[in-house]
Order: sequence, then structure tokens, then C-alpha cells
Amino acid sequence: MGKRVGIVGAGVTPFKGTWREKTYYELAQMATRGAVKDASIPIQDVDAAFYGIYNDIFERTAIPEHAIHGLLGMQNKFGIRVTTGGATGAYTMSAAHAYLAAGRFKTALVLGVEKATDCFDFSSMSATPEVIKSIGWSGDSFFEQPIGWTASDSYAEVVLAYMDEHPGDLKPEVTAKISSLLSEQVKGNKYAQRQFDQVTPEEVMNSRMVAYPFKELEICVYTEGASALILAEEETAKAISKNNGTPIVWITGLGEANEHSFAGKNHKQMSRIMSDHLASHRSYEMAGIEDPKKSIDIVELHDAFVHQLEITMAEFGLVPLGNADSLIEDGLMMPGGEYVVNPCGGLIYCGHAVGASNIMSAWSARSELIKRDLKTAIVHGTGSTIAQFTACQILEHE
Amino acid sequence: MTTQPQKVIPAEYIPDVGSFIEKIEGKDYLITNDAMYTFYRRTKGEFSSFFLALRDEKRLFGCKCTKCGLVRVPPFLTHCPDCNFAPTEPVEVGQVGVMNTTPPITYFATSLFQHMAPYGRGRVIFKGADTALSVNLYTTTGILVPGIIKKGTEVKLIFKENRIGEMTDVFCVPTAELTEGQIQKKGLQESEINWEAPVEPVLPAPSQEDISVYNDALNEIKSIISEMNTNERARKDVIGWKRDILVKTRGGRFAIIIDDGDIRLEEKELSSPDFVMVSDDPNVLLDGLAYRGAITDSVIGKKLWISKNMEFNTIFKLDRMARSVARSKKG
Repeated sequence: MGKRVGIVGAGVTPFKGTWREKTYYELAQMATRGAVKDASIPIQDVDAAFYGIYNDIFERTAIPEHAIHGLLGMQNKFGIRVTTGGATGAYTMSAAHAYLAAGRFKTALVLGVEKATDCFDFSSMSATPEVIKSIGWSGDSFFEQPIGWTASDSYAEVVLAYMDEHPGDLKPEVTAKISSLLSEQVKGNKYAQRQFDQVTPEEVMNSRMVAYPFKELEICVYTEGASALILAEEETAKAISKNNGTPIVWITGLGEANEHSFAGKNHKQMSRIMSDHLASHRSYEMAGIEDPKKSIDIVELHDAFVHQLEITMAEFGLVPLGNADSLIEDGLMMPGGEYVVNPCGGLIYCGHAVGASNIMSAWSARSELIKRDLKTAIVHGTGSTIAQFTACQILEHE
Repeated sequence: MTTQPQKVIPAEYIPDVGSFIEKIEGKDYLITNDAMYTFYRRTKGEFSSFFLALRDEKRLFGCKCTKCGLVRVPPFLTHCPDCNFAPTEPVEVGQVGVMNTTPPITYFATSLFQHMAPYGRGRVIFKGADTALSVNLYTTTGILVPGIIKKGTEVKLIFKENRIGEMTDVFCVPTAELTEGQIQKKGLQESEINWEAPVEPVLPAPSQEDISVYNDALNEIKSIISEMNTNERARKDVIGWKRDILVKTRGGRFAIIIDDGDIRLEEKELSSPDFVMVSDDPNVLLDGLAYRGAITDSVIGKKLWISKNMEFNTIFKLDRMARSVARSKKG
């Protein structure tokens, strides 16, 4: 086992539908400034940078990290970019952890940034169709892109397959209630894109169908923004914490898994998100968690879609597969319930600035653990076609 | 007859060179029309024989592992990774299959596929195959709605008339909508199927009560549309959008004019509308505009008929305007 690694600083920019006032250069620097300030260290004390930037098309350049490396003060130091679809941020944390645990570096910057809504469709004079088209280039280019593959329809395939197996679960009134609950939770997140967009379950039920079975108010929104963490190996983390007085939140478990991207015998089992199951259980094992139901206090998961949030909670082992609706029906994620799920509002209400999203989730999990004086959180990122990729981290506050 | 060659990027997607200023809190920010484009002569490599068989022979091929016998369709590899990379060999499979899972239906499509929406895309296990091929799914009966194609539904591969060696050369329809002869025929073409043409619903003659219901609804719709027209957030939803819509209901007809940020209702017939909406009950449209349910869902649920599927785009914008007004009221 390598060295212990902890989070000693974090920063986020406001998450917004569009940032006309900033380019991704400045957004990256804003989040980095916030993270080093939070850690109370100068950027010169950071040994390496790990960039989570999902999509070249969004940033409109093929090596988007090259320009920001020096702008962040990281010139002449190690810098590497990770891109794994929606799971980019979570995988970037995994990569940084590995280098620190191995002793290559004492400190690392984990930076996620995304500029998404510069993409613009001049035929409908709106951004969204072009944003989802840009994400559409991520699908299989020989067999699926040409027939209209989208992130939504590929996740909908998994959700519908789950509903084929468990027809009584993921009831529309439950998914509507979860969306409404998240919209209440986001009120406390001043960086959120939809901080003041509270919706009732009825409004969710009445919102338009975007891709069956997803309604507009059950889907994450496209966002521009950045988020950053400062990670440090044990001795350095302790020294930083002693200086700034902020408790260390340790990364005690990590797990990752990428499934097959085609379906059928010996291939992807469409009714499961095995990547979520394998990654979460690998992270439990590394953290020494035997019963996640007892150990996990806070969940910051990548809720691309409310239905997928429910399935992911089941794959985490926190509710039974086939009865994920118990999250609401048994009050498990309701205020005062067993789990605090996406206190930041999740990607549906805080926003989905793809490469920055999971890092924002870690920022939230860390601050909630400290604020609520709770012990254990799980952070999660899902991505690629048919929920193929997952990375998870267990955060622990001593 | 000569036809104009189709362009890789249709002209309507290509903006003019230009820039504009957006003012935020008194400061000017510059925005430039731009594109990041790359053209390809795309290699189909080991998939060439699969696509050529679709295009030229109307046959569907997979690959069979010489060791474990697994048949993968499409034939996406030449050697089986599950058998220490044992070679695979081409094998033809049937053109009837079953849905591996219930397929999603996309209503709000990317800019490239708006003309196709709503469309289904799902995975079919064809006879003789072990893995699923992604295909577009249609019904011959009109708009594809949930429930027509589900897990286990038997479907038939249909070939388009003009094929170019892409997955767009084929699609599937439920065999329940075909004759036995069509199901058995190999290489069945789109032109051999009876597609139900969209027929505008005929509304019965109105009663006095129908006219009274219409007048009440019309007054409310007028008031909502005029509120939309003064709501900045809602106006933004239709910037750059121009549509003349004729609305027909049992009690009467009117026009909705969307004109680059403006929206208004006119009590008149339109001789050449961009599209027609028909609903027996005017309250269906009223509820949508008042944000008491989505107009999109009324179209999907066949309570509201539209003459052109691609005008789902406009329906989305009307739904968006209703939500914008509702959000503004919340503050």
C-alpha cells in the first residue's frame, strides 16, 4: 500500500449556463486561486498538475491543458490530462492519488474545467442542440454516431433495460420527488447554476419528455465552470493542515471500472451499471468498509439523470436492486434519512461542467464532512456510452 | 434526372463570418461566429465487407469466433479477446431479430438529427447472433410512442433505397406491422412497406358549447401569449426563430406568429402556414402554454397533431417559453 493521501484545499468557480465574461483560461485560474488560498500555500509549492477536461470540441482546441499550465504557475512541472467522458473528474482524482501514493510528488493540483455552451446551432439559433451534438461525437463512430447516438439515449437504454427487469421500480412520482428534493438542497450552494430554481414534483411530472423515459427536469444541465483540489501525501498534508487549521479529508479508497461498450452475450449487461458496482465495491475494499449501509454518511454521486441516480445507489449496495424507490418511499435520502445524497444539488441543479463536475462533488463532500462532522463519503463519476465508465473515491474525515 | 450532390455539412448549419457584443453589467464582451471543422476520407478498414454487404447485397454479416463460437453482430473485431485472440470468420445472420431491451425514443435531438426526431434507437439480436446491433427503429403507423417496441419485440431489418455503406442504410420496424411475405423476404426495401401517410384529423362540426369552450380558451391563450411577449426570458427562447402556425380546434381557428423574439396570436386563417396544429380540445394547447403539462407530451400522446414532425423544435420552444414565464413568476 502506498502513502496516505488527503485533500487539503479546494475551490470552485460559480457554475453557470454560460460564462460570457470568462474563457476557460480564467475559469481554470479562478478555481486554482481558490484552492491554493484554501490550502494556504503558494502555487509554487504544488508539484504536479492533473487536468480533467472532457471534450476538445467544447474548448475548441485539441490540447486544452497546454495553454493553462503556465497560466496557473505550473510551468516546468509535471502536467497530464485525463479524459474519460462524464467520469473525467473522478478519474483525474484517481490519477493524482496514484502518483502521490507512489511517492512521485508531495502535492498535486487536480483541476477540472469545461466551457460547453460556446457551441451554438445556427439552424435552430440555440446552444443546446449543438452542445449535445458535440457530446454525440463521443459515441461509437462506425455503428452508432450515424444513427443518432446521444448521451441521453445511451443512458436511457440502460435505465429502460433496468425497468424491463424491475417494472415496479423508478416510478415517475419517485423520480419527480427526487428531482424536487435536489432542487431544495441546492439552495445552500451559492456556486450552483440553479440555486434558486426550486421545482415541485408536479412540475417535474409536467415537464416535457426529452428522450423517453427522461423528462426535462430529471436531466443534468450543461454548465461552464471549474473546480480544483489540492491533494497532498500524509506528512505534507499534516503540515498544511497544521498551518491553515482545516482538517484533512483523507482519500482512503478508490475504485474504477470500464465495461464493454457493446451489448449482448459476454458483453454489457444492459440492465446493470456494473461499472458502478465494481468501482464502488473496489473502493469499499480499499477503505476497509465491510457494510457501506452502515459506513457511508454522504453520497456525492454523478446524477446525469435521476433514474440513473437511483440505479447507482442500488449498485453501490445502499438500496436493493429492484427497490431503489425506497430512497424516497422509506425516506432513506429524505432529510433526516440514512444518507445525505448530493447536498450540493447534484449535477442536475448545481450543474454539469463535465470535467469539473466530479471534482465539484469532491469539493462538496469534503466541506459537508467537515461542516456536519461526519466521517465517510463516497464520490462518484459515471461516463461514456451506456454508463460504461465509473470511478469512485471514499473520503474520510478523522 | 440529375440530382444535386449532397454536402457533408448542409448550408443551414454554416454561419456567416461575424461577431457581436453582449453587454453584461455594463461591460462589453465580444462573441465571434466560429467553427472547428475537419473533413475526412474515413477508412472503414476491416468493416468494409460488412458495410459493402449492406449497401450492395442487402445482407447482414457478423463474425464468429473459431474457438468459442460467439457470433458478434456487427463484426467489430477480427480476433476474439475472450479466447486469447483466436481468429473470427464472417458469418451471415438473419434479418429478423428481437429487441435486446426496450429502446429509448429521442424527442429532443442534436442539431444533426432534428429532422429525424422523434426516433427510436435500440439494440437488436438478429437470428443467429449473440450480440446486439444498434439500429434506428420506426413504426409504419405514425409517430413512434412508448409501448410500440419493447424488450422482446420481434423486428425486421429494412433497407433504404439509396444506400451509401453506413448504418443509416438500414432500420427496423416491428414484424407485427408487416405481412408474412415481407417478413420472410431477404433484403426488404423501404418502398415495399405501406407507410401510413400523416392525415390531418377531421374535426366534427362544433356545437354552441364547443364554441363557448373555444372562446374561453382563446381568451386565456391570448392573455398567456401576450404575457410571453413581454417576458424577457421567454422572448429569448424564440430569438432567431420565425414560424407562422395555424391552430385548428373544434370550436375555431387562430394563428400563432413567432417572429424573432416576438410572439403574438392573430384571429385569422393562414393560407400558407409553416405548419398546422390540430386538437379537438383547445384546452390541450392552453394547458401546455400555461405550464400545466408539456405540449410535447400532448403530441406524443396524440392529443395534439402537428403536420410536420420536424416542428417538434417549435413545440419545444413553446414549452420552454411556458417554463420561462413560470420561472419568472417565482422570482
